[in-house]
Amino acid sequence: MKLNNAVIHQIFITFLVLVVAVVVSILLYMGFDYYTIPLEERHFHPLNQSFRASGVVGHGLGIVGTFLIIFGVFSYMARKRLRVFSRIGILKHWLEFHIFLCTLGPFLILFHTTFKFGGIVAVSFWSMVAVFLSGIIGRYIYLQIPRSIEGQELTLLELEDQKIEMNKQLRQSVTLDESIYELTSNLSGAEGKRVRFFGRSKDERMALKRLRMELKQQHIPEIRSREIVQLFKDQLTLKSRIGRLVSMQKLFAYWHVAHLPFALIMLVVMIIHVVVALTFGYKWIF
Amino acid sequence: MSFKLGTWVLLAMLLLSLEAGAQISPGELAKVHAHLEGMANCTQCHTLGAKVSNEKCLDCHKEIKARLNESRGFHASDKVKSKDCIICHSDHYGRNYDIVHLVKDKFDHNETGYKLEGKHATKDCKDCHKRDFIASNELKKKQETYLGLSDQCLTCHEDVHQKTLAVNCQNCHTLDAFKPASKFDHNRAKFRLKAKHAEVACEKCHTRSLRNGKDFQQFTGLQYNGCVNCHKDPHENKFGQTCAQCHVEESFRSVKSLGQFDHSKTGFKLAGRHQQLACKLCHKVSVTAPVKHERCTDCHKDYHNNQFRREGKSPDCSECHDVSGFNQFSFSIEKHNQSKFKLEGAHLAAPCFECHRKEKEWSFRNIGERCVDCHKDIHQNGINTKYYPSQRCENCHKVAAWNEVQFDHLQTSFVLEGKHSTTSCKDCHFDPQLKEVANQKFNTKTGNCESCHKDIHQGQFKDRRVDYCVRCHGFENWKPEKFDHNSTRFKLDGGHKDVACIKCHKVVTQGSTQFTNYKFKEILCVTCHLR
Repeated sequence: MKLNNAVIHQIFITFLVLVVAVVVSILLYMGFDYYTIPLEERHFHPLNQSFRASGVVGHGLGIVGTFLIIFGVFSYMARKRLRVFSRIGILKHWLEFHIFLCTLGPFLILFHTTFKFGGIVAVSFWSMVAVFLSGIIGRYIYLQIPRSIEGQELTLLELEDQKIEMNKQLRQSVTLDESIYELTSNLSGAEGKRVRFFGRSKDERMALKRLRMELKQQHIPEIRSREIVQLFKDQLTLKSRIGRLVSMQKLFAYWHVAHLPFALIMLVVMIIHVVVALTFGYKWIF
Repeated sequence: MSFKLGTWVLLAMLLLSLEAGAQISPGELAKVHAHLEGMANCTQCHTLGAKVSNEKCLDCHKEIKARLNESRGFHASDKVKSKDCIICHSDHYGRNYDIVHLVKDKFDHNETGYKLEGKHATKDCKDCHKRDFIASNELKKKQETYLGLSDQCLTCHEDVHQKTLAVNCQNCHTLDAFKPASKFDHNRAKFRLKAKHAEVACEKCHTRSLRNGKDFQQFTGLQYNGCVNCHKDPHENKFGQTCAQCHVEESFRSVKSLGQFDHSKTGFKLAGRHQQLACKLCHKVSVTAPVKHERCTDCHKDYHNNQFRREGKSPDCSECHDVSGFNQFSFSIEKHNQSKFKLEGAHLAAPCFECHRKEKEWSFRNIGERCVDCHKDIHQNGINTKYYPSQRCENCHKVAAWNEVQFDHLQTSFVLEGKHSTTSCKDCHFDPQLKEVANQKFNTKTGNCESCHKDIHQGQFKDRRVDYCVRCHGFENWKPEKFDHNSTRFKLDGGHKDVACIKCHKVVTQGSTQFTNYKFKEILCVTCHLR
């Protein structure tokens, strides 16, 4: 049942990715010719009437994109900050939906701009781009912080317990030289070593090499051997995360300082843009 | 802590964004609208709550508004007038945006109210839409405009007629070509073109000239009452100015009637035999076609086949002949005497044909100048040629008459002396028995006395000399002046001196012949005295 949920979730995520890909592809396919001609010639293009920023399609993209972003931002914010919504769904899923809406929305806005980035609204646009990019970075940092299934950040102690549990699993799986078991305990950790964000340290690579050699000498079957290596790798990852935990938690705090203000700027300027547009009578289909 | 930092960053970025977004324009305006750039100018074009209104456009573009009000021009056409300005002329597409965007190939000029037809359809826009043709000073100031032209031809075209004709060019000209003015009907003019006139090139009557320094063709103010207004009078007014009395418009060569025609008014008066000729004999092509008439040979054949040609040119027949007929001629003896062969003596009386028509044809050249070229030499074998070498008759004869002979007999061995010098030639040279003069022989005489004279002495004195007569006779008379009786065998002395000759020399008869006997067989006294 748990597995089924994971598959359904995976399908859902794939669907969301596909929606973004399909929408962007359709817009690119339809408007490629229009979007790639020089600005001076746009007016004379047959698609101009509908694809320009104030056209039926172009304006619609802007409006829909804006609403997607607004909904994506505020729904996620509400789920995170308002006690009323704290029980609805898993926060991780809300984040994923937030990412979906705030990916599709900017793409629609991008097509709404017709790739013309000028005037006050450009500030909004570039803010949106900044939020979008910072969101991608944030997503990475977010993954670096181990969480409970509910998405709650785990404490250092909880992590240490997890690590011990995993080491126990490894010992039960295969009988190895004790020094190999100790490798994971001795390598890196939070003991003043430099925090690594990407890849593995030389020591980790050496440890993995030794493990593989040991498994080979003991003639452990291939499938089993892979499981043991994966267990070992998870243990290493957990170990390095524990090592980075404090740094990551600090970094994530700073990240919020960037992600949120850009989002706010985007929203404020967007409101100005909308007000100006409405003032001059550009009401889309209304 | 993080909230404080975030607040400051947010405020800073908002300030920055407001600074950057001082202008809310969605893009640069086209060059022509560049002066409207800036937030303060938005409402120059945009109406709050109503996008861009036509009124705002037309508030500036008054020239278009005026034309719309007058329902004139492209913007007032059914195709365009219902559209908002912004549909075609948008903006905010950058400085280089072509806001007018006239696609010349696709532009339907008919929508402007001025249909491009004929040659106009092949012209480039700029051929007509140029500053020079725009009347309005306001429109002239515009950097580029297609307004300001009138539909009058003279707006663009030069008045080549220099105000001599009405301004409505299309009364005569079509739009396909300025030349020829194919809509022009000459029959609507006062001078209607009939017959040959309809085929004449316009420029023949409507001449070209320079007027005001430009090429000008005159179509008005032409004189056309008389033919001579255009035509040159080849008759130099000899027949008056009423050409139509004889000529018709079909052709100058077609003549109405020749009954009244007075040929004497032409340069060739008909006289003599010419009066009797039919017109066509001379006017072979047409009576109006000019006929050369300076020389007789312009019509007549040179009967003499260029015999009179001198230095490549024959004299005119009229030098000898006149119009009374070819048999009549006026070539006088005086003129003949200017030639190499002067007519003198009997030649004056000789008819021309004696010398000049020896054969069937008349001949005036190289007929010879020597007597024998015309006359027969009757003395051939009759006179020694040394007396008329090369048959030179004039050595003896004169042109006055054949029988007037002048011959120096000293040329011969027989000198005419005494009576011989006064004797007629024929006494010696003509044989009366030969009746034809031509048969006379001069070369038969030998100088012998007996060839002319008869020896009445019956040969009593004959000796070996041919002229033995001259021993006794001279040429003056027959007296024997040179005879001396004393030189004979019988000298006369004494009584013999006074005796008459006849006493001794008796006439004797011998047969039927009587003669004086001067020769005795014996000279004895008894010969005379004893009988």
